[in-house]
Amino acid sequence: MAKLGPGQGLGCEAAVGLLAPSRKREYKACNKLTEGKRPLYAIGFNFLDFHYYEVFATVGGNRVTTYSCLKDGNFAILQAYIDEDKDESFYTLSWACDLDGTPLLVAAGSNGIIRVINCATEKLLKTFVGHGDSINEIRTQALKPSLIISASKDESVRLWNVHTGICILIFAGAGGHRNEVLSVDFHPSDIYRIASCGMDNTVKIWSMKEFWPYVEQSFTWTDLPSKFPTKYVQFPVLVAVVHSNYVDCTRWLGDFILSKSVDNEIVLWEPKTKEQSPGEGSIDILQKYPVPECDIWFIKFSCDFHFNQLAIGNREGKVFVWEVQSSPPVLTARLTNPQCKSAIRQTAVSFDGSTILACSEDGSIWRWDEVDHPKA
Amino acid sequence: MASSSSKASDSSSQRPKRPDQGPSGKDAAGLVALHGKLAQLKRQVQSTRLAAIKERVEANRKALQVHTCALFDVAAAAEVASRGAEGGNALSRGAAEGHRRFVGWDSASGPGERELVHVQEENLVAGTLVLSSSGGSGASHRTVVQLVKLPVVDKIPPYTTWIFLDKNQRMADDQSVGRRRIYYDPIVNEALICSESDDDVPEPEEEKHVFTEGEDQLIWKATQDHGLSREVLNVLCQFVDATPSEIEERSEVLFEKYEKQSQSSYKTDLQLFLDKTMDVALDSFDNLFCRRCLVFDCRLHGCSQNLVFPSEKQPYGHELDENKRPCGDQCYLRRREVYQDTCNDDRNACTTYNMDSRSSSLKVSATILSESEDSNRDEDNIKSTSIVETSRSKITNSEYADKSVTPPPGDASETENVSPDMPLRTLGRRKISKHASKSNDHSPDKRQKIYSSPFPFAMSVLNKQSVPEIGETCPDSIESAVDQLPSLDDPNKKISTKDMCAGSTTNTTENTLRDNNNNLFISNKEHSISHWSALERDLYLKGIEIFGKNSCLIARNLLSGLKTCMEVASYMYNNGAAMAKRPLSGKSILGDFAEAEQGYMEQDLVARTRICRRKGRARKLKYTWKSAGHPTVRKRIGDGKQWYTQYNPCGCQQMCGKDCACVENGTCCEKYCGCSKSCKNRFRGCHCAKSQCRSRQCPCFAASRECDPDVCRNCWVSCGDGSLGEPLARGDGYQCGNMKLLLKQQQRILLGKSDVAGWGAFIKNPVNRNDYLGEYTGELISHREADKRGKIYDRANSSFLFDLNEQYVLDAYRKGDKLKFANHSSNPNCYAKVMLVAGDHRVGIYAKDRIEASEELFYDYRYGPDQAPAWARRPEGSKKDEASVSHHRAHKVAR
Repeated sequence: MAKLGPGQGLGCEAAVGLLAPSRKREYKACNKLTEGKRPLYAIGFNFLDFHYYEVFATVGGNRVTTYSCLKDGNFAILQAYIDEDKDESFYTLSWACDLDGTPLLVAAGSNGIIRVINCATEKLLKTFVGHGDSINEIRTQALKPSLIISASKDESVRLWNVHTGICILIFAGAGGHRNEVLSVDFHPSDIYRIASCGMDNTVKIWSMKEFWPYVEQSFTWTDLPSKFPTKYVQFPVLVAVVHSNYVDCTRWLGDFILSKSVDNEIVLWEPKTKEQSPGEGSIDILQKYPVPECDIWFIKFSCDFHFNQLAIGNREGKVFVWEVQSSPPVLTARLTNPQCKSAIRQTAVSFDGSTILACSEDGSIWRWDEVDHPKA
Repeated sequence: MASSSSKASDSSSQRPKRPDQGPSGKDAAGLVALHGKLAQLKRQVQSTRLAAIKERVEANRKALQVHTCALFDVAAAAEVASRGAEGGNALSRGAAEGHRRFVGWDSASGPGERELVHVQEENLVAGTLVLSSSGGSGASHRTVVQLVKLPVVDKIPPYTTWIFLDKNQRMADDQSVGRRRIYYDPIVNEALICSESDDDVPEPEEEKHVFTEGEDQLIWKATQDHGLSREVLNVLCQFVDATPSEIEERSEVLFEKYEKQSQSSYKTDLQLFLDKTMDVALDSFDNLFCRRCLVFDCRLHGCSQNLVFPSEKQPYGHELDENKRPCGDQCYLRRREVYQDTCNDDRNACTTYNMDSRSSSLKVSATILSESEDSNRDEDNIKSTSIVETSRSKITNSEYADKSVTPPPGDASETENVSPDMPLRTLGRRKISKHASKSNDHSPDKRQKIYSSPFPFAMSVLNKQSVPEIGETCPDSIESAVDQLPSLDDPNKKISTKDMCAGSTTNTTENTLRDNNNNLFISNKEHSISHWSALERDLYLKGIEIFGKNSCLIARNLLSGLKTCMEVASYMYNNGAAMAKRPLSGKSILGDFAEAEQGYMEQDLVARTRICRRKGRARKLKYTWKSAGHPTVRKRIGDGKQWYTQYNPCGCQQMCGKDCACVENGTCCEKYCGCSKSCKNRFRGCHCAKSQCRSRQCPCFAASRECDPDVCRNCWVSCGDGSLGEPLARGDGYQCGNMKLLLKQQQRILLGKSDVAGWGAFIKNPVNRNDYLGEYTGELISHREADKRGKIYDRANSSFLFDLNEQYVLDAYRKGDKLKFANHSSNPNCYAKVMLVAGDHRVGIYAKDRIEASEELFYDYRYGPDQAPAWARRPEGSKKDEASVSHHRAHKVAR
């Protein structure tokens, strides 16, 4: 399968954002919480249910913790789950929903085992064993929040149904990733589409249109999950070489893709695919969002519900907030704190962008609140 | 088109081209101006680009906003639903209960310089999480949360997602790990770059600059205003990241493009399929069809294999036979009879009546048969006329054709039933032979008409001819009828073409009758030969090669729908003198043969040069197993003969000599080689009967080959139990025991957690010593690739490389079967053996001893002593000797 590189030269330039903060929105650090000494790899708000918009979760070590972001700038700890395997190290989490709307929290990590926790009953709901190695990211399909997708070191991406516990599809094989898959994301509106990226320096766009009957089937499956006819999706729709090193985070921004490598920047590009002939198409790099000192891998960014604000941390504990959908990109703010020095692995932006959370390598959670936010 | 291109060249010559002129003052000033202009243009292009981006981002934003708003509605609906269900806002409620809440620090109290410090403490014994906060206004809080335990789940041994292969595959071009692969070692926290250790990698070709639209604009503008002088090129180089020669080239392209646009003359090159030669038409066949696996797009042998043409042609199954039955009513045999009959027409005239009636009655008794024959004939007719152009000349000659060419669709059945309105002199004549068989309801006056026609004997001869042979040709006609079934769907077309044909045939017959006997073929030739397209000619030549000079078979099998047998025959019998007049379209038979012969010679030459080229490359790379001398990467090897050589079919047309690729490589010639069966280098298979080819007495077994039903005398494959009428197995149910890989007669293997390490392969049913268990499949990769991959695999201490032969290594890492998980043991219950199966080396896993059901399978990976990891190192002492003994024996076997 042909790998596609971006066009270069006059007329293909990207709009590069300036690092001067516009100060349109002012943030100030208002809280810090230290969970422990182990690095926190993921943090995320629950955007699936209006009730829980202020609820977020973190993972680090063998622990999964849920908090509430209080309006006064404090945190309230809600629940804590601990894996009995002390060696487990969770790398990722994602909120999901059962068919009846029960809030579920999905977490996975070095053991390659996906834990589905029912937060309403505070009980482990399901455990998915199947990945051959550690899991680097899990995402939830917002349109069908009982579908989750996982990216693993075993070079595959798998689609699961948390309701029935079925592994529906495996995206791997002849056209699959050639090294660890580090990040994966559902297209926000095209339910068939996903993007994945990894240590093979590529971003792959996959379509499950032809396999959708299996997804439908997974909701009504009553037999043992292991008997489900799991299918391999071996060929992506497009293979993009936008970066020259590990690609550790990718997110859809509408029909465009945001992705980052270890080159101190996030890149927004447009994949032009051809429905009739998979593998063909072109790539157009549109915008670049510089992020200084962001040259280590496994640093992920996040957006608010409406994809207006993007927050990303860096190696030195600074957070850059970009107005992601303006052209050329505008840096909203640079969030710093003298005490926040260790690498920030993941951020979480609240529903309206008024609160930004960051979890860092030293095991602490940082909170910045917008000053004079109309809602606050 | 011609005018436009001439215009283009005209104007291009007018363009100011001053490559040799030095920069005069005026030019220099012009260049400065150009520089400015280009800079401005560049800015313009860039700002246009930014504006375009802005537009697209904005459009995308709007679309996304619509979507997120919809999503929000969904979330809100979910909230309503959950509230209604009283299922509880479990998370928020927990927060609202207050005891878990701490209010330590009022964010409004100051600018927030004094942060609170919250510290958590896990109390695993108590199963609680204590969160204490201090600082701020001095207040200190403690929150206690019960830890919910997630019970331990057994994790599975690590593996990389792999794809099942039931047959080895050659590595696809894009599957190489590449020049630079970074391996991340999580333990040492070290990134390891597995780049090429050797420098003999050809540098990637200088990437050709792809010009963007903006750059095109710059170039176009500059060359329009200032011509294409060196100075202009230099200036352009400052703006465009390309070499001057590339820019110059591009400007030519642009010039042609814009010129063309202004002329708005687009060439419509609709090419008829028939205009292509067979080589072109068969290109994809030659390139994509694997002659060894008989599949398209073979994953094992790859595309663009050397075409090997066997020197021994199959004997033509059907020799030209004077007593042959005509293949249809467009058969050349008929015409010959016509020709003969003109000499003694009087005598025939009276006999035909009887003959005809006899034929009718006979045919009635065998309706089905004759019907099938009819369809056969119809088919031939369709063939002859589907190329309208070909037949048109004939049709226009025929006075009746005009009417029958365009029968209204509704008339189809009417035509079938031979309505009296139709011009029956031609149609009816045909119908007689056809419908006499179906029913005898033809009105006598119709016959009358026919017999009153100027050539009654021709028809009667036709029928007479078919009567005696009808019995013996039944199977044939049925067969052909079945073959042609698909084309019977369209009665309209069929009938019209049939009628058309009948018309043209009559006409030609008429002509021939009118003409002198000597002119018979020549006159006909005038019609047909001029319309032989290149493809038809190639097909014809292929037909000569396959069937010999049998126009019936050629027309039916290769030119069906294109040419009738008669046309083929007349083409065949044309002598060179007439053909010489049309050097483009026609050649004498002799000439054709000579050409064909020459063609094959050339192809052979091409094949050979390809081989040579490949060899050359291989020599240049010098990266076979031996020369590489790579002791570093671990690869499993099989028992038995130590090193195998990859077999590639040779294309020798004569006996294989020193030049033979097989001889040179040290491999035997196989059935896929071009050389004759009597080639001295051929492996002749075995003659074993009762031994079942299970011991070294069988030459195949001794040479680590599986028996081949095509080669060995008594090894053959029977299918079924005879209930379907297939021939029974020969030799008292004897079945060769040395074709298990070929026939995929493998055992059921189970995958499970090994008792030793990681995953393991287990056998489901008990097996006996030396039983075949299954194949170790994988990707076929080069030794070079294996070294690159091996470095990474060895780091991960998990390698699925298996040395196959001097050219290939099997890698089961991403693609393979369950047997790849069989673990190593120095005291194993299985052994791996490389077998040559139909020219391919394959790895079979065999039982070393009797193995009971659900036992784990082990075999000796036989890693070299210097690359073996600790777990695969041979224990000191007796084992070592045993290994060397088996080695030694293996060598003996090979001889």
